Amino acid sequence: MGNKSSLLLREEEIAQIQEETGFTPNQIERLYSRFTALDKNDCGTLSREDFLRIPELAINPLSERIVHSFFAESHDDRVNFLQFMRVLSHFRPIRKNRENRLNSRDEKLRFAFSMYDLDNDGKISRDELLAILHMMVGVNISEEQLTSIAERTIIEADTNNDQMISFEEFCRALERTDVEQKMSIRFLN
Amino acid sequence: MTSLKHGVNLSRRACRPYIKFLAAAAFLAVAVASPIESTTKQSPSITVDGISTYPGLGFGPMGPVAPMPGEPPGTQLRQQQETTTETTTTAKPKKERTFVIAAVEFHRVETPFLIGVWIFFASLAKIGFHMAPKLSKMFPESCLLIFVGVLIGALLLSTHSVHVQPLTPDTFFLYMLPPIILDAGYFMPNRLFFDHLGTILLFAVVGTVFNTLTIGASLWACGQTGMFGCTTPLLDMLLFGALISAVDPVAVLAVFEEIHVDEVLYIVVFGESLLNDAVTVVLYHMFEAYTEMGASRLMYTDFLAGFASFLVVALGGTCIGVIWGFGTGLVTRFTNEVRVIEPIFIFVMAYLAYLNAEMFHMSGILAITFCGITMKNYVEGNISHKSHTTIKYTMKMLSSSSETIIFMFLGVATVNNNHDWNTWFVLLTIVFCSVFRIIGVYIFSAVANKFRLHKLNTVEKFVMSYGGLRGAVAFALVLLIDPEVVKLQPMFVTTTIAVIYFTVFIQGITIKPLVKILNVKTAEKRKPTMNERIHERFMDHLMAGIEDISGKHGNHHMRDKFKRFDNKFIRPFLLRNYQGAEPKILETYSKLAMRDAIEYMQRNASTIGNISGAESMSAIFKNYTNSNFNGSPSFTQLDSSTWNIDMQELEYNPSKKDLTDARIHHLLAEELCKPYRRHRRLSYSRHAVNDRDLGTQVNYKTHMNIRRLVGDRKHHHKRSKRGKQDGKNHVTFPEFQQNGSAKQFTHGKKKYYRLDYIDEVLQEDEEQPRRENDDGGITFTAKSPGYDEVSPTSSHKENSSSLLNQLANLPGFNPLKARIVKQYAKTPEEILPTAVEKSLPWRRDRSTYNFVPNEDILEEDERRMSDDNDTYMTVAEQARVATPTATETMLPWKREEAEGTTALKQSEFPSWASNKEYLAYSSPSATFLGGIEKPKHPKSIIGLFRRESSSSTQAADLPIASDSEGKADSIKGDSSSMKGESLYSQPKQGPSLLSKRSTSLGGPSVLLMEDVAHSDPLGASSRPASIMQGPHRGQCRRGSMLELTGSLSRDAITEEKCSKSLPESERMGVRRLALGQQSLPREPFNRQLTMASNLLTSSSSDESSDENT
Repeated sequence: MGNKSSLLLREEEIAQIQEETGFTPNQIERLYSRFTALDKNDCGTLSREDFLRIPELAINPLSERIVHSFFAESHDDRVNFLQFMRVLSHFRPIRKNRENRLNSRDEKLRFAFSMYDLDNDGKISRDELLAILHMMVGVNISEEQLTSIAERTIIEADTNNDQMISFEEFCRALERTDVEQKMSIRFLN
Repeated sequence: MTSLKHGVNLSRRACRPYIKFLAAAAFLAVAVASPIESTTKQSPSITVDGISTYPGLGFGPMGPVAPMPGEPPGTQLRQQQETTTETTTTAKPKKERTFVIAAVEFHRVETPFLIGVWIFFASLAKIGFHMAPKLSKMFPESCLLIFVGVLIGALLLSTHSVHVQPLTPDTFFLYMLPPIILDAGYFMPNRLFFDHLGTILLFAVVGTVFNTLTIGASLWACGQTGMFGCTTPLLDMLLFGALISAVDPVAVLAVFEEIHVDEVLYIVVFGESLLNDAVTVVLYHMFEAYTEMGASRLMYTDFLAGFASFLVVALGGTCIGVIWGFGTGLVTRFTNEVRVIEPIFIFVMAYLAYLNAEMFHMSGILAITFCGITMKNYVEGNISHKSHTTIKYTMKMLSSSSETIIFMFLGVATVNNNHDWNTWFVLLTIVFCSVFRIIGVYIFSAVANKFRLHKLNTVEKFVMSYGGLRGAVAFALVLLIDPEVVKLQPMFVTTTIAVIYFTVFIQGITIKPLVKILNVKTAEKRKPTMNERIHERFMDHLMAGIEDISGKHGNHHMRDKFKRFDNKFIRPFLLRNYQGAEPKILETYSKLAMRDAIEYMQRNASTIGNISGAESMSAIFKNYTNSNFNGSPSFTQLDSSTWNIDMQELEYNPSKKDLTDARIHHLLAEELCKPYRRHRRLSYSRHAVNDRDLGTQVNYKTHMNIRRLVGDRKHHHKRSKRGKQDGKNHVTFPEFQQNGSAKQFTHGKKKYYRLDYIDEVLQEDEEQPRRENDDGGITFTAKSPGYDEVSPTSSHKENSSSLLNQLANLPGFNPLKARIVKQYAKTPEEILPTAVEKSLPWRRDRSTYNFVPNEDILEEDERRMSDDNDTYMTVAEQARVATPTATETMLPWKREEAEGTTALKQSEFPSWASNKEYLAYSSPSATFLGGIEKPKHPKSIIGLFRRESSSSTQAADLPIASDSEGKADSIKGDSSSMKGESLYSQPKQGPSLLSKRSTSLGGPSVLLMEDVAHSDPLGASSRPASIMQGPHRGQCRRGSMLELTGSLSRDAITEEKCSKSLPESERMGVRRLALGQQSLPREPFNRQLTMASNLLTSSSSDESSDENT
């Protein structure tokens, strides 16, 4: 931990991140310290193991997907701070009359959608939904029940009868949900 | 007061008749009350306290007015009784001599009677308002109730019953308030509440303290100027400030329920009004104590003590509530044997929590609120649906009547001679209340916004400050002030009433238009969809994960933690059926499935009659009869098919009830989870509708279905049991029976069906008892139109049992239907006694003459089929007409026996639910129609229906489809029962059958005929006869059963199986199945079906258990 301080961000880096993600410098500093705290190896990047070392996250039923979402842009299975911040910036609350590039409603939904859509084909298939349900609901419910739930869900959202949920259908299904609020957290300053 | 008068005028104008009505009611009340007055005056027990209009504790002359009439009447009554006994002793000699025929003894019932009268008139007034839509649109109910109260109060005053003061603090706090708060707590949107808990607490605690201090200090400051004309000690002012500053949950509820603002806004204001109780109580007691102690002796430790006491009161109340809440959950875990008393636990334990908290001088409101919040989740997992409904409505009833009475009494209490009106004081109080409320809201919402994700905007702030209504709590508190200690108490009372009137009338009336003008987001009431439920839950997890990653411990984190704890430790302990995490998803799913089904039934009540009618035996019968009358030869082909030579088939003859049951059940199951499917169905129905049918449509089906949904459970047990007992019978599907009967009807000679039905009619009376005694032969309602499918014998038993259960659920059997049939076929030409007996499955066992070999030959059958087609249809229609009555008689409970059935394990789920084969089968209609031609036909019929049948082409097919569907059901029955038939007829038409149907040679009628022909029992009869008579018979039946099941599970059952275990004839059935299978890939749907059925049954099981108890 001692040498963490040596990894302080430089001004221009902060500026760049701020430009890109919309976080304030304070938030960036704070998240950076969090980032370095997670980075047990002090290599400036995070591996999946680093994430899963967070105790609460480890028992999160969706931990695998959540962590996976951080690695969407990485090629070497490591996440650097910029990528880290980019992902987190999806969850910044929406500010009126300010630019919301990564944290618009659309982006938030897209992020959630991509977590379902493992194969990146732009559609949530029954199996993909089922996989998520499995993680969330757990083992106490029979496979059949889960399947029927998944099917019911797909049928409900499926407007073009392809037995999949496309992103548009996904958005429509969540039309009435306050996604802006549900998918935002207040990042401390 | 001017506003009040204005309101009066308005209301008079608006609805004079109602006012008259109310006035009359009020007069009545007075008339009742005044004699009481005189009587009570005689009784020494009533000490009318001349000083205080408001006796405070104890019971007023009007008696304690409480929502719970069972309360102990108190000393007053007792004393009255003493006096009455005295008088009776003096009157004794007379009484001994003559026997009093009629006597009036009002004293005895006075208290509860008065309570009843008050409640009655309050509720009556409420009805009155809602009969005047204009009035209730303009004014909130609370205003109108207060107004009525004032009227009654004025009447009472004019009759010199001045002492009528029903709203005592005790009755208010002990009886009227708890129901309202419990209702609020129990139906509190937990998540919303806890999401905004911080804001709520800020407003409730800090905001209330702020208001109290500022109002008190301001009034005191104004008092220093001498404008009030009386001394205004600071402590008195603070005391008054404490009681006047609290936002009142009752008033807030009354107003906010009507304006439907955004849920966030609502929860913040309402939550504040609930939680500020602790603060109010503490401040009130604190300042009261200080006042008694005197300002001079106050020390700073007293203030510290006050703060400490706040913590104790608030946390103590909360803890008591939570503990009682868990207790309730635990108790309801064990009520599965005594469902009837489930609701009482919820009410009593919550009430005990309230009293318990009051006992320790803690916040009862907090206690009962948190009791409701806590118990809800666990209780709802334990209690039955019925109990849930009971609780819901009871709670709403109690709370709304309490609210009604509170406002009415508020009005009554207004009218008395003891007012101490101080214009300046009243005015300034109102001004300060409003101003400081606004200031407080703005300050604290600014603070809250720092920590809130969703910032409170200006409009919301305004609504929040404007919604700070004062109400009965303040009034009850001000009555509690001891006038001996606080000399200004009368003035406080008057001022409090004025403030209440101001907030309730001025603000209450104007808030509605203001909300509209300001364009405040209004809440939309809706049930979450599956997608929302799942994705939102998904987001919760996601956000919790993100919070963990970013190292923040926010809402999501806390909630996640609690959920985990809850799921791990609390739920398993408190819930009877712990279903694991995410019960909400399941719940939503079951709710949606249920709703789909019910909606479908309701929407299609008429269409069902028509459409399904086509499928149903009843329809067939009707058509048949019609044809008889009309003599239209159009469906000649049917004749041959209709010949029922096989005695077994005759046995299978369905009770019409069974038919209906089966169909409905089928429909329900089908519709449950498959929106798409349902569409298709709908369109069917629409197109298939005949004018005749339309005329005869009845809603009974809907009712039945719903009833069934709920109540099936019992039947399951019984039926299943029976089915087990007589293994032979259980094979029979009701549908088959139905089909069989239908065929019989179609039978050119009419003899069979006539006989059967007639017999049925005759024996109707007997039937019911018999059924109870008899087996579950009836039990099988296999809806699946499947052709004969044979599964290996080994599997037979399993299937049969499951089927039995399922069948038991079906509402089908109606002896009454038989009557209808009777009407149509009045001439029983040939009587096949056996036929009758056999028609009713349960009878089979008994029937000594089991089989009358049918002599008809296949060829004959065919011939007849063609002949009788028309008749077939007509009969069906007529039968349909009759069905409703039949259904009524069919009430499930009648069927059931009292036997303690050790249900097969199916109690949890109907066995058929677990029967994959059955499940696999989707719907007969689908198999036939959709499957063949357009396997994946995306357009559901329903959709068509909605779109006004956009596609004409489909329309053409549809009628056919529907018919064929109906037939399919019947056919199944036939086919199953008659294996022989399959041999004969099928080879010819067999595999091609489906295609033929789909193509529909001549239209629907043709299809029908074909189906009939295929299914024709006759075909079965010839061969089958031999089979049946042998020892095989039982097996054969079973086989038929299996066939059905097989048909159901197109996917599941392979031909191989069938071929292995089943005779050739059955194989034919298999073949058909295969065809059907090809038609549609329905697996997913099937699964849904299963799921839905499970859910249904589970719910129904609860209910059934209730009934049993």
